[in-house]
Amino acid sequence: MTGLQLSSAPEIRKDPPVSTDLAFALRGVGSAVSDNFALRDVSFELPTGYVMGLIGANGAGKTTTIRCLLGIRPIDTGEIELLGHLVPGPVALRQEIGVVLDHAFLVSDWRLTEVERTLRPFYDRWDGARYRQLLDEFGLDLRAKVKDLSRGMSVKLMIAVALSHRARLLVFDEPTSGLDPVTRDELAGIIGDFLLDEGHSVLFSTHITSDLDRIGDYLTLMHNGRVVQTGTKDEVLDAYRVVRGGPDDLRECVGVQLIGIRRTSTAAQALVRTSEADLLGGNVLVEIPTLEDIAIHVGARDPQRNPDRDAGAGRRQPDSPMPTGRNA
Amino acid sequence: MTAVARMAMLNLRTVAPYRYQGFLVFALGVLLFAGKPTVLVPALVFFFTSQFASYPFNVADKAGLDTLYAVLPLPRRSMLYGHYAWAIALFVATASVSTVLAVLLARAQTVPFSGRTVMTVLALSWALFAVNVAIQLPLLIRFGYTRVSVLGTALPLAVVLGTVYKLHLTVPSTQVWLPVLWIAGAVALMASAAIATTADRRRMRSSGPAPKIH
Repeated sequence: MTGLQLSSAPEIRKDPPVSTDLAFALRGVGSAVSDNFALRDVSFELPTGYVMGLIGANGAGKTTTIRCLLGIRPIDTGEIELLGHLVPGPVALRQEIGVVLDHAFLVSDWRLTEVERTLRPFYDRWDGARYRQLLDEFGLDLRAKVKDLSRGMSVKLMIAVALSHRARLLVFDEPTSGLDPVTRDELAGIIGDFLLDEGHSVLFSTHITSDLDRIGDYLTLMHNGRVVQTGTKDEVLDAYRVVRGGPDDLRECVGVQLIGIRRTSTAAQALVRTSEADLLGGNVLVEIPTLEDIAIHVGARDPQRNPDRDAGAGRRQPDSPMPTGRNA
Repeated sequence: MTAVARMAMLNLRTVAPYRYQGFLVFALGVLLFAGKPTVLVPALVFFFTSQFASYPFNVADKAGLDTLYAVLPLPRRSMLYGHYAWAIALFVATASVSTVLAVLLARAQTVPFSGRTVMTVLALSWALFAVNVAIQLPLLIRFGYTRVSVLGTALPLAVVLGTVYKLHLTVPSTQVWLPVLWIAGAVALMASAAIATTADRRRMRSSGPAPKIH
């Protein structure tokens, strides 16, 4: 059968027009989801060995982007490069990728021993000893059923599965939603350990920005199916300023776009691009934003407002400095 | 093990936790048709395999196994063919066990049950199974279990009963059709697999607005 040939490691072929030092790259990706929503011109990339945080409110397009990246969802425009192959790459490429959601996409009545027995035949490099060791480390009982695991335990189980088949890229789709701070901290530690190998990379989609304060090297901010900003964490943080003032201080002025402005009877607050902050009047207080400030204001913006400008501004420049991540 | 076999095995493991319910359904079927050994085999094959060939889809809908299928290193086509391989394996197992039971019951009841009857009953069972699965699987693959569970059972049943009624089929009258039944069943399954491939492609394209990967 063809599947046997495809799933053997030597079948992974190198497609010529891709670069091997990238974990993945999306270039001008578009994918129509419905009449009301589509990914438009989504472009961002992650060098091998780093963590990319994908941030955006619910419905921003994070999951659709991940679906496209994994080849689950076809794209209409652009191209996607994943671990040195253009998507859709060879089936064997999936040996290299671990997908972790906020729940286990496994039969709920399987015991954790059955999880291994079921998945092992699909992976060439499945390491049963490592699976059992990881479950032990994570405090998971081999005899437990999937349905008896808490949300945090389910996430740990899926990480154990991913690490047991020696994935090089872990893709997390909002794994921390609903997790308590202790478990989220443990998860950050697990990801840190995973990244000790320089060939490993992580894509981490979340709307909990504090998760990325600790582990994010690169960030991509999405809104309404578009990339609003992408780059190293420092670049993204440096691209915006929070501006505060009285209700009348923050009025639209030429050349300044007030992003996600919030007004009360006594004050107003918005996000602006750093280059535009100086154009505001002297009564305005300008501060460096946190990641959460950026996520909140961008997520609260009018979705119809000047999206092309946002998308264009969001492109990471080729000469952007490398992040000061653990592999830098 | 080939990719198709691995997928069939995944289906077996998917329904394995619910095996006792399966045995119960099978036992009830045996009790229901114990008095008519010639009917036992096609009846069990039709009802049991129709339920258990589709059961992985039921579990998959609940557990989000579509995501698992999508991320496993398994060609999509092998995944689809694996569903058919699983159904055929189920047919072989059900037909084997129910034929043995039918022979034993016929002996116990001193009902004639010759080798020729066995061949006829098996060919008829194969045709029933093939029509059932050929209709059911593309629907399940395109729309999922939740949306077609009733239709997926009722439609093949209507087709089979309508055919039996229209052609006045009985075991003796079917004997001349044996090769045709085997071949027609195989052709129906192959055509169904081709339709399922197209149906799956459409499903992949239209699987848009889900908030999470599954």
